[in-house]
Amino acid sequence: MSIMEYNGGSVIAMVGKECVAIASDLRLGNQALGISSNFQKIFPVTDRIYLGLPGLATDVTTLQELFRFRVNMYTIKEEREIQPETFAHLVSSTLYERRFGPYFIEPVIAGLSQTPSGGFKPFIAATDLIGCLNFAKDFVVAGTASSKLFGVAEGLWEPDLEPEDLFETISQTLMNAVDRDAYSGWGCVVHVITKDKIITRTLKGRMD
Amino acid sequence: MPAMLSTQPHGLPHPHMQTEQGPQQRQFNPYTENGGTILAIAGKDFSVIAGDTRQSEGYSIQTRYAPKVFRLTDRAVLAVNGFAADGNMFVKKVRQRLEWYRHAHAKDMPLRAIARLIQTMLYARRFFPYYVYNILGGIEEDGSGAVYSFDPVGSYEREACRAAGAAQSLVQPFLDNQIYFKNQTPAPGTSHPTHLPLPTVLKLVIDSFTGATERHIEVGDGLEIYVVLAKGASTQALEGIRGIQETTVTNDGERVFIIQRELKKD
Repeated sequence: MSIMEYNGGSVIAMVGKECVAIASDLRLGNQALGISSNFQKIFPVTDRIYLGLPGLATDVTTLQELFRFRVNMYTIKEEREIQPETFAHLVSSTLYERRFGPYFIEPVIAGLSQTPSGGFKPFIAATDLIGCLNFAKDFVVAGTASSKLFGVAEGLWEPDLEPEDLFETISQTLMNAVDRDAYSGWGCVVHVITKDKIITRTLKGRMD
Repeated sequence: MPAMLSTQPHGLPHPHMQTEQGPQQRQFNPYTENGGTILAIAGKDFSVIAGDTRQSEGYSIQTRYAPKVFRLTDRAVLAVNGFAADGNMFVKKVRQRLEWYRHAHAKDMPLRAIARLIQTMLYARRFFPYYVYNILGGIEEDGSGAVYSFDPVGSYEREACRAAGAAQSLVQPFLDNQIYFKNQTPAPGTSHPTHLPLPTVLKLVIDSFTGATERHIEVGDGLEIYVVLAKGASTQALEGIRGIQETTVTNDGERVFIIQRELKKD
C-alpha cells in the first residue's frame, strides 16, 4: 500500500501563448473505494497563481492552509504580491523542511509572472514530495495518472497555443489519461489563466 | 587458504570458522523483463503492427537492434514484448506450427485460427508461462484489418488498436483519444470515422513512439512498422515513404511491408 496512491488524484499544468492552464480530476478515494466526486485539489494563491496539490488528502488540506498562511505573511512583510517563481521556491523550502517525514503531496504550480516591462510571462513548475523543483517549458504532471498524462501530453501539446486551444488540449489530455487510471477521474476542473481573466470550467467525466 | 591455515597455532580454532551453519536458500529466477513497447492498429483493409528495437535489462541497453515484430505469413504479423528469450522461442514455435499447417493443408492458416492457436499455445504453459504480451495483426479471411491482443496465459480479444509493453500506459490513452475518439463529441449531424486511413494511422504510430521515447528510458533506438495490406488494397499511401521495403512471399493477394525509422538513442 503506497501512501501516494491512498486517496488517488492527478494534476497537470501546461504553457500556452501568454497563458497557462492547470487542471485536475475531482475524485477522492479510499484506495479502490470512491468517496467524493467533488474534491478540490487546485487552489488559487493570488489572482495569477494557482496551486495543484495531488497526493494524500489530509496533507492537501494541511498544505493549502500552510501556503495560505505563508503567502499572507509574505504579502504583509513585502507589501506586494508574491511572484510565481518566488512561490515555487516557497513551496520547495516548505516541503524540504520536512525532508525526513514528508507531506505526501507533489505540488504543481501554474501562473503568470510579471516582466520588468509590465508584461506577463507564463510559468509552470512542479516538485516532488520533498520539494525538488522542476521548471518545465511545456507541461508538468503529477498524481496517480502521471505516466498516462505524460504519454497523452507528449502527443497532444504544441507550443504557443491560444487560451481556447490550450483549454481543449489540457482537457483532452487529462480526461483521456484519467479514464485509464482507476484512482483518478470522476470529473475534472480546468483553469486557464490569461493576463486579464481566468477561465474556470468543470468537466463531466466518466463515472466508472 | 591453506597457507594462512598453517600460520595458525595448533589447538586454536580458525577465527573465521563457524561452528554452526544456519539454513541457506538459493534461488534461480528464470525470467527477466527486457523493456520496449509494441503497438498495433487495424484499418478497414490494412493492419499496422509496430515495435521499437531497443532491448534492455535494468538500466543497461543490451542491443539497439532486436526486432520484436515478426512476419508469420503474408496476412499475419506477430509482435512480442516482455521477456525477449521467451518471445523469440514463442515466435519460433508459432512459426513451426504454421509450417506444419501449410504441409497438411497446402495453404496459410487464417488469422483468426492463428489467434486461437496462440491462445492454446500460451495456455498450455499456464503454470510456467511465456513471460510475453503478444499482439497479432493482419488481414482476416473477409479482407478486413484485424488486431488480436493476448495476455501471457492466452486470454485474448479482437480490437481496433492496442499498445503493450513498457510504455503501454503512455501510449494507450493517446490511442483511446485519437483512434476511438474517446472524450470527443462529433459536430451535430456528423459522426466519427470507424476506420482511419493508412497515412493517418502511420502518423499516429510514429507520434506514439516518439512520445514514448521522450518520456520512457526503455523505449528508443529504432522503430519497425509492419504494414499488411488486404487483397486489392491500394498501395498509394505507401508510395514515396522513406525506408520502405516489401517482404511479401506468396502471391495470394495480401502484401506485407516494413518501414524502418530511427528513434532517439538517449
